[in-house]
Amino acid sequence: MTTRDVSFTLNGRPATLTVEPRQTLADAVRQHLGLTGTHLGCEHGVCGACTVLLDGDAIRGCLMLAVQAESLSITTIEGASPPEGLGVIQDAMQRHHALQCGFCSPGMVLALEALFAHTPCPGEDEIREAISGNLCRCTGYQPIVAAALSVAEKNRANLGAAAPSA
Amino acid sequence: MIGQRVLRVEDKRFLRGEGRYVADIALPFMREAYVLRSPQPHAKIVSFDASAALALEGVDAVYTAADLPASLTPIPCRIPTHGDMTPFLQYPLARDVVRFVGEPIAVIVASSRALAEDAAELVAIEFEPLPVVADAAAALDPATPKMYPPGNIATQWGFDLGKVDDAFAQADIVVEKSFSIQRHSAMPLETRGLIASYDKARSYLEVWGPTKVPHTNRAMLARMLGMRDGDIRFAEPDVGGSFGARGEFYPEDIFIPYFAMKLGKPIRWIEDRQEHFASINHSRECTFDVKASANKDGRITAFDVVLVADLGAYIRTHGDVVPSHAAASFPGPYAIRNYRVKATAALSNKTPSGTLRAPGMFEANFAREQIIDMMAEKLGMDRAEIRRRNLIKPDEMPWYVGTQSVNRPTLFDSGDFPGLFEESVSHFGWSAPLAKGEGPVRRGRGIVALVEPSGFGPFESARIEIDPAGFATIFTGASNQGQGHETMLPQVAAEVLGIAHDRFRVRHGDTAMIPYGGGSYASRTAVMGANAVHRAALAVKAKALAAAAQMLQAKEEELTLDGGRVIVTANPSRFVTLAHIARVLTPGNAELVPAPKDFIKDDHDGLTGEVFLRAIPSGTAVFSVHMADVALDIGTGELKIERYCVSGDVGRAINPMIVEGQLVGGVAQGIGGALLEELAYDEDGNLQTGSFADYLLPSSHEVPRIEALVVEKAKSLSNDLGVKGCGEIGISGVAAVLANAIAHALGTGARPTTLPLTAERLLDLVEPRP
Amino acid sequence: MKPAPFDYEAPTTIADALKLLGGHEDARPIAGGQSLVPMLAFRLARPSLLVDLNRIPSLAGIEEKGGVLRIGAMTRQAAVLASDTVKHHAPLLIQALENVGHPPTRARGTIGGSCAHADPAAELPSAMVALDATMVIAASGGERRVPADDFFIGAFETVLQTGEILVALELPKQTGGSAFLEVSARKGDFGIVTVAARIAVKDGRCTDAALVLGGITERSVRCAQAEHILKEQGATPKAIDVALAALPLDTVTMDSRLASAAYRRRLIPELCRRAIEAATTSKVAL
Repeated sequence: MTTRDVSFTLNGRPATLTVEPRQTLADAVRQHLGLTGTHLGCEHGVCGACTVLLDGDAIRGCLMLAVQAESLSITTIEGASPPEGLGVIQDAMQRHHALQCGFCSPGMVLALEALFAHTPCPGEDEIREAISGNLCRCTGYQPIVAAALSVAEKNRANLGAAAPSA
Repeated sequence: MIGQRVLRVEDKRFLRGEGRYVADIALPFMREAYVLRSPQPHAKIVSFDASAALALEGVDAVYTAADLPASLTPIPCRIPTHGDMTPFLQYPLARDVVRFVGEPIAVIVASSRALAEDAAELVAIEFEPLPVVADAAAALDPATPKMYPPGNIATQWGFDLGKVDDAFAQADIVVEKSFSIQRHSAMPLETRGLIASYDKARSYLEVWGPTKVPHTNRAMLARMLGMRDGDIRFAEPDVGGSFGARGEFYPEDIFIPYFAMKLGKPIRWIEDRQEHFASINHSRECTFDVKASANKDGRITAFDVVLVADLGAYIRTHGDVVPSHAAASFPGPYAIRNYRVKATAALSNKTPSGTLRAPGMFEANFAREQIIDMMAEKLGMDRAEIRRRNLIKPDEMPWYVGTQSVNRPTLFDSGDFPGLFEESVSHFGWSAPLAKGEGPVRRGRGIVALVEPSGFGPFESARIEIDPAGFATIFTGASNQGQGHETMLPQVAAEVLGIAHDRFRVRHGDTAMIPYGGGSYASRTAVMGANAVHRAALAVKAKALAAAAQMLQAKEEELTLDGGRVIVTANPSRFVTLAHIARVLTPGNAELVPAPKDFIKDDHDGLTGEVFLRAIPSGTAVFSVHMADVALDIGTGELKIERYCVSGDVGRAINPMIVEGQLVGGVAQGIGGALLEELAYDEDGNLQTGSFADYLLPSSHEVPRIEALVVEKAKSLSNDLGVKGCGEIGISGVAAVLANAIAHALGTGARPTTLPLTAERLLDLVEPRP
Repeated sequence: MKPAPFDYEAPTTIADALKLLGGHEDARPIAGGQSLVPMLAFRLARPSLLVDLNRIPSLAGIEEKGGVLRIGAMTRQAAVLASDTVKHHAPLLIQALENVGHPPTRARGTIGGSCAHADPAAELPSAMVALDATMVIAASGGERRVPADDFFIGAFETVLQTGEILVALELPKQTGGSAFLEVSARKGDFGIVTVAARIAVKDGRCTDAALVLGGITERSVRCAQAEHILKEQGATPKAIDVALAALPLDTVTMDSRLASAAYRRRLIPELCRRAIEAATTSKVAL
């Protein structure tokens, strides 16, 4: 069994793992680091439950090999959450009942984090596109969209920005 | 607290990625399992050679049926069925014949899942293919070779109520149509999984995994392995959705624990998505041939239905419950006394079938509601009007349909169907004109009415404990797959005890903590679980008042329980807190040290309340109306849902936010079943759906905004809280209402009768343009 | 669904990558991995060695020079979609990309990876053909350039030989307005039928036309006859009718559970009409 050492920044801290090349990033953070907030829903890149941030972009944790993370910066839901309580997007999701079973929720949070990082005041179309690669079987997406719109609304008020860009 | 939109306490852990699902649990010395499944739809196993797999370093074992106890029976059916299903039951691991693609043949246990999969590729199995029963039509054909000695039909039954033939002879109009519902499944986002660990010396088997019914599965496991109930703990972790598919006692539920016992090390099996398609219970596949009659005044006079369901290769724990519900409930919310149905449960070489949210009802509604629209068209009557004229009226309640399913009478205990119907129609603006179609777009509007049973029994339990610090724990027999029980149940208890709901903790799904539990299915937790919690809270309250009366030296009727304190009503400065009472009632509490000469006597049993509730067999009926506007592109067949409204009379909403979530989420899942999802087989019995690239779940682009109209009009008469279950009304009418809206958009009498309603099928309904 | 074992190298130069690919039996390059990694998970792909192209800086980037837009093969689809240069130079590529996957797959998926994978239902190959792109291929012996229409051979098959790498796509400045239309089961899915249309109209005359169908057979199909009719007769309603009657409906071979050949044949003229009309009225007409 060939293994490789891979060093990268994980949730803002250096991490070094010894992995088989075939191990996906999602599997590696779960198995080696116990970061089980990254969920495996399909392992073939469709459901989005394994979403992580790569240099701020939402990507499929199951479609990237752990060895490919060398010297890159990865954020999982554990790193995207505040030390206690809920972040702005998470809080909005709770307030809008934007989750039920919670299995897709970490991926949804990260997909929205990536959206808001470059689009502080997205409109409904942009939000739906941003989460279109993340399947939710419980909510019908509507409360997730509502939660994101409420964050956009708050950002707009804070930024004094005009209408949404979409 | 009841009736408030309380935010869910469980959300925090889920949003932070701190939910603990079965795959997130690991035990020391744990090994990983891979289930080797049949690639053949029907074949004899001629030879099996695992020597190369066993030679791989890190592989512990390759287990087959031969490694299971010789005395092991097939997995029994646990729900009453029409006739004897014994010949069609499945052994946990195939013995000499496999009957569907995905049937478990062997279990490979290794140091990692990847290695187990490597080993699986080294197992050599020789098959001798047998003739395949491809579908129900083949099963019904006497020329098809028999899969089982009795044949390819598991059972046939029917009802013949009133005078159907007379009604047809006397009716002003008669319509007929056939409908076909495709095989699909619940497809929760989390796959199945189990971890089992055995302490041999102490004879204690622990099993973690998602299921709707931990206690039932524990009992089945104990019975099948000849173990004692008390030697097995079954515990439910966080669960990533169920929607009906986590109710079975699956083959893995017995062989994973058994092989963990055999290996002497914990075994974890996490199903992957590819396995899931072939091994989760499939559902829905059936056809209806419907004939219906009505008079000029719009009164429907009879339904005559032939129902054929394809249950797949084996009858499993849920028997023929799905077609059974469909046959028993076909007449829906309408006052129809002439009803005949002939139902057939056929077998084929496909994955066995079980329940999916609104089992049998989603299917029956699709057929019935379209037939009703056809009658309206033929009569030249408004489609809301014909429904209005046939709905069961409040003074006709309770309404007994005259049928039974799984030994339960189809009985609607209560409801104001016309009241909700009018409120829904007026909310939606049924009569308002549709926007005109532009270019190739044709617009249409649909309406359906339906009734769902909810709150089926047989029983539920609840125990509430107040600890000496004033914190409360609810132990419920209900299980949780994400619905929100950890918030909703405390709301009910808080209403009685006046303790803030966030001072409660809910424990569920663990047989080590909860002696008896029913579980969660059939939209039952708000009905059975919450009523049990309600009565347990009342028991705690009674105990608290009795104790406080002694402590305050007052009479009970002079006391009030308020805000976690028992107060002397006339003098609120005199009170004791529930925490204080709990302290006093704690067993062994020093204040109650018996005198040395006393005989041993009963101690207090804490500030606790425990109840076991028995349900009425027929549950409580929930009425719902779905309405939708669609835009159909007659150049491509593409469909856009422009507006969707679902209403439901839930009697009383414990948490309206959660109720709306159930309705909206149910509709979204129904949109998948109506438009996209299919588990397809080729004519040779090979499953064609093996990934999420061909099993299409709706995404944020496919699900439109959905309006949920939650109404609390007709309280349930069969439970203290007056609640009705809301889990299934959202999905139940989706295919029906979309089909009706599409037919309306077409405006030619053409009608989509085959699910899913793909763009291709819809374009086929459009006349070729000149 | 764990991949079969393989070895892994991440070279930093094209030369090293070519050496690794040439020196190993069953070596395979990995670009964004959005198609390859699922195939690994299903064990449908079983390379002995994965040669990761993600560490080769010269493979990524967007550059316009002398009227030619060069997009490095490893440029992320998201980067192309967000590029103003691409928007001005080849808006059809943007229109096609809007139908490709979802933000997380586009963040990682590359423009060259999708072309080299050559899924017959993918959008990018059709866009490349319609844009008259040139595919730049590196081999140990040097570079070769192949017109997009010759690059794609069949389903998951291109002219790329073992040991070669697609390094860049070169696009001439788009002439004409364009549209990319498709019918797919869900937004972001591969197309059941896709149509890439690019029509240049000048002084009432149609000076250039490209009409490319995807999803209907093993590879993208250029509707040469229809293009010819439009160029001869102009993009008038009458000419469009004539052109639509000359569509290569007989090339449809894709026939699946999710869409029959008959359905695809019925969609083609409908989508082509809409695409031509959209392209000729396109605000971004160049």
